[in-house]
Amino acid sequence: MFFQGETGRNTRGLLRLIILCTIAAAAVASRLFSVIRFESIIHEFDPWFNFRATKYLVQHGFYPFWDWFDDRTWHPLGRVTGGTLYPGLMVTSGAIYHLLRFLTFPVDIRNICVLLAPAFSGLTAFATYLLTSEMSDSPSAGLLAACFMGITPGYISRSVAGSYDNEAIAIFLLVYTFYLWIKAVKVGSIMWGALTALFYGYMVSAWGGYVFITNLIPLHAFVLICMGRFSPRLYVSYTTWYALGTLASMQIPFVGFLPIRSSDHMAALGIFGLIQLVAFAEYIRGQLPSKQFQVLLRAMVLVVFAVAFGGLVLLTVSGTIAPWSGRFYSLWDTGYAKIHIPIIASVSEHQPTAWPAFFFDLNMLIWLFPAGVYMCFRTLKDEHVFIVIYAVLASYFAGVMVRLMLTLTPIVCVAAAMALSQILDTFLVADTPTSTTPSDTPHANGSTTSNGSTSTTTTASALKDKLTSALPSTLRSTKSPLVGIHSYLSKSLTAGALTAYLLLFVLHCTWVTSNAYSSPSVVLASRLPDGSQHIIDDYREAYQWLRQNTATNAKVMSWWDYGYQIGGMADRPTLVDNNTWNNTHIATVGKAMSSREEVSWPIMRQHEVDYVLVVFGGLLGYSGDDINKFLWMVRIAEGIWPDEVKERDYFTPRGEYRIDDEATPTMRNSLMYKMSYYNYASLFPAGQATDRVRGSRLPSQGPELTTVEEAFTSENWIIRIYKVKGEDNLGRGLGEAVGFGRGNKRKSSGRGKGKGRGARTLRVD
Amino acid sequence: MRLRLFGLLLGLLGFVSALSAQGQKLLVVIEDESDKSKYSQFWSGLQDRGFQLSYRSPKDTTLSLFLHGEPAYSHLLLLPTKSKGFGPSLTPNLIVDFVNGGSNVLLALSAEQGIPSAVSSLLLELDISLPPDRNSLVVDHFNYDTQSAGEGHDVLLLPSPSTNTKKGIKNFFSVDGLIAFPHAVGQVLGNASPLLASVLKAPSTAYTYNPKDDSSEGLEDVFATGAQLNLVSAFQARNSARFTVLGSSEALEDKWFDASVSLPGKTATGQKTANKAFAHALSAWTFKELGVLRVNSVTHHLAEDTRAGITNSTAVSAAPGDVNPEIYRIKNRVHYSISLSEYAGTHWIPFTPPAGDEVQLEFSMLSPFHRLNLTPSPDQSHPNNATTYSADFVLPDQHGIFNFFLEHRRPFYTNVEEKRTVSVRQFAHDEWPRSFVISAAFPWIGGIWITVAGWVGFVALWVYSKPEAARRELKVGGAGKR
Amino acid sequence: MRLLQYVTAALLPFTALAAKKSSGDRFETYHSKQLSNGGPVKVDDKAYNDLTKTPRDYSVAVLLTALEARFGCNLCNEFQPDWELLAKQWTKGDKQGEGRLVFATLDFLDGKSTFQSLMLQTAPVLLLFPPTTGPNAKPDNVPHRFDFSSGTNTAEPIHAWLTRQLPSIPHPTFVRPINYVRIAVITTAVIGFITLVTVAAPYILPVIQNRNLWAAISLIAVLLFTSGHMFNHIRKVPYVGGDGKGQISYFAGGFQNQFGLETQIVAAMYGILSFATISLALKVPRMTEPRNQQIAVFVWCGVILGMYSFLLSVFRIKNGGYPFWLPPF
Repeated sequence: MFFQGETGRNTRGLLRLIILCTIAAAAVASRLFSVIRFESIIHEFDPWFNFRATKYLVQHGFYPFWDWFDDRTWHPLGRVTGGTLYPGLMVTSGAIYHLLRFLTFPVDIRNICVLLAPAFSGLTAFATYLLTSEMSDSPSAGLLAACFMGITPGYISRSVAGSYDNEAIAIFLLVYTFYLWIKAVKVGSIMWGALTALFYGYMVSAWGGYVFITNLIPLHAFVLICMGRFSPRLYVSYTTWYALGTLASMQIPFVGFLPIRSSDHMAALGIFGLIQLVAFAEYIRGQLPSKQFQVLLRAMVLVVFAVAFGGLVLLTVSGTIAPWSGRFYSLWDTGYAKIHIPIIASVSEHQPTAWPAFFFDLNMLIWLFPAGVYMCFRTLKDEHVFIVIYAVLASYFAGVMVRLMLTLTPIVCVAAAMALSQILDTFLVADTPTSTTPSDTPHANGSTTSNGSTSTTTTASALKDKLTSALPSTLRSTKSPLVGIHSYLSKSLTAGALTAYLLLFVLHCTWVTSNAYSSPSVVLASRLPDGSQHIIDDYREAYQWLRQNTATNAKVMSWWDYGYQIGGMADRPTLVDNNTWNNTHIATVGKAMSSREEVSWPIMRQHEVDYVLVVFGGLLGYSGDDINKFLWMVRIAEGIWPDEVKERDYFTPRGEYRIDDEATPTMRNSLMYKMSYYNYASLFPAGQATDRVRGSRLPSQGPELTTVEEAFTSENWIIRIYKVKGEDNLGRGLGEAVGFGRGNKRKSSGRGKGKGRGARTLRVD
Repeated sequence: MRLRLFGLLLGLLGFVSALSAQGQKLLVVIEDESDKSKYSQFWSGLQDRGFQLSYRSPKDTTLSLFLHGEPAYSHLLLLPTKSKGFGPSLTPNLIVDFVNGGSNVLLALSAEQGIPSAVSSLLLELDISLPPDRNSLVVDHFNYDTQSAGEGHDVLLLPSPSTNTKKGIKNFFSVDGLIAFPHAVGQVLGNASPLLASVLKAPSTAYTYNPKDDSSEGLEDVFATGAQLNLVSAFQARNSARFTVLGSSEALEDKWFDASVSLPGKTATGQKTANKAFAHALSAWTFKELGVLRVNSVTHHLAEDTRAGITNSTAVSAAPGDVNPEIYRIKNRVHYSISLSEYAGTHWIPFTPPAGDEVQLEFSMLSPFHRLNLTPSPDQSHPNNATTYSADFVLPDQHGIFNFFLEHRRPFYTNVEEKRTVSVRQFAHDEWPRSFVISAAFPWIGGIWITVAGWVGFVALWVYSKPEAARRELKVGGAGKR
Repeated sequence: MRLLQYVTAALLPFTALAAKKSSGDRFETYHSKQLSNGGPVKVDDKAYNDLTKTPRDYSVAVLLTALEARFGCNLCNEFQPDWELLAKQWTKGDKQGEGRLVFATLDFLDGKSTFQSLMLQTAPVLLLFPPTTGPNAKPDNVPHRFDFSSGTNTAEPIHAWLTRQLPSIPHPTFVRPINYVRIAVITTAVIGFITLVTVAAPYILPVIQNRNLWAAISLIAVLLFTSGHMFNHIRKVPYVGGDGKGQISYFAGGFQNQFGLETQIVAAMYGILSFATISLALKVPRMTEPRNQQIAVFVWCGVILGMYSFLLSVFRIKNGGYPFWLPPF
């Protein structure tokens, strides 16, 4: 046989390295579809802000970025951007940029931003390998996990080239932090704990999802303590992580004092207190081994814990500790957001996940995943406990919010890899077992002894022994000793089938990546009848128009989805953008969009709006347009002005949301409706105007606009830009002015001949 | 800036005669040449003041108010016509466009010719309403000219607008002597428009009367009476274009320029009219020889050096030196100053608001955070042409995009609207006082150092103390319990 | 606006016969009634019209509801106690009736004609008639209507709404009384639970420390969540849907929606697949008898193949363009 002894280990190491490098290469390569299909461009919405911030960082240096007051968003409030973002991403790419400059590679910052996510996905694969290798002793598991992580669509969806978002680096940090944590718990050394804290700090600086770590690690510790598995190793690693990690996280201005103020972080703090208690109790128990005293001790610990917990609750109620942050809270109380925070509920990626999405994102892994979790129970070491907790929690979160599929993906890869590697290791053994001697089963029986002692309680041990004998403490499936596979036929059959599935998996991932996740929603692609690709570039056309034809600080009002893009591509100040920190301001825009012109115009004037931008998909059948988002504007506005904007007024008496003749007057007079359908009928023969999204015939004569005038409409009418008129020079109402321009006479104000007019209004001056 | 100075130099040179601040080209629309002679004194007066008059008939087909889309004339004088309107080249829409183009209009009405319906619809756009029937005129049985209108009582004799009309409003139209308004058309100003101002009101005993219909109901339902009737009213659009409505065109005729008139019941007969002076004042105001304001310069800068003890190192911000910076910091002390001049017919003089009026500055975001009265002081660079209005104030404790907003809209003065946008940023991370400066922080700082020392001491103790065997065994036992 | 017509139409016949009582003492009578029975006044058609007749210098908040069980109006019954509580506290809040606000309840049984005249199809409906004369009078006699469509059945939003609608009158604060019974029950339950645990610890501990149990729990949880159970829970999807031709369709068309049964089927498939995997990985290699092992391997491989291909075929239903498939399905 090859690969034996020293040389064998070395060659295996070398092979492993090569395989890992190939996996990383594959991971990067499969994320370049978007660049090949379209071009090296920043994708959808948030990335545009990150890109803009990065440019600012590279241009002005770090400290100006830290103190950045951005006066081109949230006009006229402005945004203290430096203090309200997670700088990790920008700083990372800035560092890379400067490093390359130092190495005399004159590379454009945009390309760094575009290619950052793929590069980090390679690292993620490596981190997954490390994490999995900690979990199982089979060498193949890690490589499998790395391979899965590299190509699974669930992760690719957020890390294709160009999607320059926090998640791009956050997932790597997540996995790597968990690896370090597991390492720390295993070894129990301060160094690993400190490293965990370090990467935790990096994670905090990179993504709001760090709260997941902040709660998962304490939960792990807590469960271990409850299982009676408290150990100095756990104590050392947790204490180190918490102390250093909290300090690190408080260095980020946006986080600041949250770790000691908000409920999201209270679990970590509470466990920190508890673990001190338990450690103390353990120490005392070591000193005085008397039964009653130990009972007393346990009671004491419990009581103190309960009291502390009560104190926390009290503080939360009294308001000293901030309650759960909205996004995080809506995970637990799933109905909460829809009622109280329409902004959060309105975001598409905060919707619950239907099962096809799961299967779409992690094809066969989704059914390998439970098997892997089950196998963790075989030898339930501390790290396996971690896997189980993570698995259950993450799958819950992923079920509630689509975007949290991202946190589920790593654990799915790890678990699936463990399950698969188990099969492969059993079935890909060349030699048949000698059927007479049952091979020694180290982990099958080793576990029994180990956890027999976990359940030692002081009372009624005799009865307990009976019970334990009744309920086997090992898994049913692993009672009998391990033998091995006898016939080559079954080996080859299983191996063949699995290989087939794996190949199918690869095909699936490639297909999904290339079809679903590689379009930068800035540029839309459609297939012509002859199958060739047709690019619809209205967004950039319109933003370019703004950039070329409007004043440098002309304020553009649009719904908040397009704020970042306008800021990034058109470089014009916006009223609201995707960083939805000010509900009232967004509601103001919503009100302006959903009210009559006479109401909206003063609002727009007060906010110095020069242009209004609406997205209209009616001509092309592009369903993500503003009329479909309109109800959210109404709801958000209603949240602030319940008496002026009422959602019910936008529905027909039969409760339908219509835009044709049936539409309610409120709907037809709303600014959004008017701006969307202004002049639209002129494209069609008389009375033939149809909206291809809503699929309904429009009223024969279209809406009239008096307070705004059409400035620009893109090629496919996806984007329409209107200019807000100023006051009339002669001090008339704009409606009257337009009427006069059309030549209809103005009514003499009640001063004609004729009886029955009201009391004459006298002028006083 | 430089251009402004140049303009100022021109102003300094001064002119032989008065000259409009806007332009010289004046279009006179008069129906038939024969009437031209009636107004000869008025014409000569205008020409002496440097206007280039061009007389056109409304019927003239070549007549056009616009040249290449721009107003061809800077001023327009409309004399009454007999027809229903001024014809195709002077439709209300065109005239409105002409005003929107920034040109000034002096519209003279007359009850003799009657009011064209086009004119009344045009005036309705300015929220001025005229009597519905075309030749109703203003009659007053107490202030009429006994010589010319013994029984008609339709030639009104009025004193000029009194100098103390209203607090804070400058009066450009006061002349001494009586002004005669033959066959005047009374206008009623709407309540809504702030752009309207009344120059001369009818006395409280006046009312409108239509000589054509003698039916009694015309009397019981009069169009308007007393001070609600305006004989001369002024409209100033947002772009400062001026539109004056003169109730009686005959008041500009030569025969009324030096006619002798007498009020009823007065013994002193044969008083000379002041129409000439009044016509001069009225045309001078309408054609922008009076009451024109000019902004020479607007500056704002930091009025402090950055706060003591804080090195304003990293953040983008305004240095004390530079003028009109883009960005300030909250609670900065800033200095704002604006230099204003007023045109006095021949040259630019320092602008001083009439008594009881102030020049105000708003520092606003969505709504004003400060509204300050600016303090005047003679302009350093050219003291006898401009006044500098300035204020020092501390920016509010609110970051955002603010405006230095000066909006000066007063009757009979052209509008001044100056908006300078600046961003006000938050404190940078290194602009706060350091912790050791704040005495309240001493306990915490002390705590930190004590903890550090204690930890070091503990480590030393730990390192130099040899644990005994038994303890360790016990610990291992404790550790191994899983 | 049409509502206004109906209201006035409803009012017209009664104005005549009730005109003799002035609106002032009308308010007094109803207010005293309110004080006496401590809660909203129960009115019928006649009283309703008398109460809401113009001119009136007071405002009326009428809840038109259907409390009878046979109308099956859950919202009415849920809301009724809160409504009474609100009315009680408000009247207690200003005994003198400075706010001049009358709370009334009109049940469908005694108010059929009113329901008809207002063309009401649904209940409950809360109408607020502002005063037509007096200091804070509204020019038109249009009652404001509270929108129950958002499914509110508590008093707080109503209180806020009344406060908004009648800004210039005193607004007594609304405080929910503390439910002592509930607290007592909870505390006893907690204490009892603790004692139970302490007593039964020796019996329970081995059970809750049993691995198989935990393994089962976590596996079930994972299977539920990954098969989109939360989606059903949040979106309240139907259990099965019918296709046009009367047959029930188990799988909802479209990528973004699903049926309750569908998710259960999918969960079952996942479960079987992973169980097969586990057996292949753990059970099979522990079989000592080669033939049985051979058979087991065949069986499990077959199961996996079948299930997986079925899963793929189901997924192709959801996502039309999906190109991959496995034999047999």
